[in-house]
Amino acid sequence: MHSRDTDRQDQEILELLKDYPMPTADAGFYDQALARATHEGTKRQRNRWMLTGFGAAIAAAVAAWMIGGLLLNDPQLPDAGSTIPGVTIAMEEPRTVNLVFASATALDSATLTVTLPDGIELDGFPGQREISWTTSLKEGRNFLPLTLVALTPAGGELLARLEHDDRDRTFRLRLDVT
Amino acid sequence: MSTANQNLTFERLVRPHFDRLYRLAWRLAGQKAEAEDLFQELLIKAYGMLDDLVEKDDPGSWLSRVMYNLFIDEQRRFTRRRMQLVEEGQLGGGGLEGFAGSENPVADNERLDKIRRLDSALDQLSDEHRIVVLLHDTEGYKLKEIEELTGVPVGTVKSRLHRARARLREILIKDGTIS
Repeated sequence: MHSRDTDRQDQEILELLKDYPMPTADAGFYDQALARATHEGTKRQRNRWMLTGFGAAIAAAVAAWMIGGLLLNDPQLPDAGSTIPGVTIAMEEPRTVNLVFASATALDSATLTVTLPDGIELDGFPGQREISWTTSLKEGRNFLPLTLVALTPAGGELLARLEHDDRDRTFRLRLDVT
Repeated sequence: MSTANQNLTFERLVRPHFDRLYRLAWRLAGQKAEAEDLFQELLIKAYGMLDDLVEKDDPGSWLSRVMYNLFIDEQRRFTRRRMQLVEEGQLGGGGLEGFAGSENPVADNERLDKIRRLDSALDQLSDEHRIVVLLHDTEGYKLKEIEELTGVPVGTVKSRLHRARARLREILIKDGTIS
């Protein structure tokens, strides 16, 4: 049986739940998501019928992402951003990708963990899916060059998780393989 | 059907449901980046199932179910980190601004603090309890809609809702949020 106190407490919880954060999408997110879905969907359809034989090698390293770290309650860690950037790498050809972290302040003893999708390795770390190390970030832009090698055409997502104190951000990079 | 027509058909079927799907993604994933990944994955998957989609009487419900199943299938990938939701200022839909503009900033702060504690309490619930309570009590889904979305019978949904509320009450009394 619910007591009067319990009913009142439930009512208060319900009111809190009704006020619980309701995010709205950033301007342009829906259009981007739709464009990516139709692009990706069309590509996948095409790939069902065509044997892709692209041998193009893309040479230069590319900066992957950078978002300013203007965060309301946690200005230290750089923002992970709302869209997933991507790069295309060629099979079995080492390619250096520069990850760019923009930090609002200098961070000492941050832990960076890079998690790789199946079939993609960090040059010099054969067979390792996850590599973690401690690093410091300066205020402003910080570059992390990663030399990647694709061993299979599957591609996937590279995750770079940055942890400092009790907080963390995960950055994502989509890797397509040709 | 040409690719252009296919794309137009797809957009006509999915766009009306974007807001609801985006909210659902948030309620499932609990964090912006993961929610947006989930939303994106849904669209890519749905595009590949366009032949099925055009046959649906209620594309919105169908899309919601596909999203829920994607979340369940790849739950580890769409890992939620609820505290980031607070830290990134996503509270109140427009961040803290959602609480601004009142004539009583002290009360606003107290309210915000309670919402933060609720966020923390929700994080202590199991996924199945958290999802049910958020869909029902926050999003206003009917029990039957939750049954259709999750495939869990209404009786079980009710039971989960009851337990989730009881657990929230217990946590929020303990931490002094409610008395």
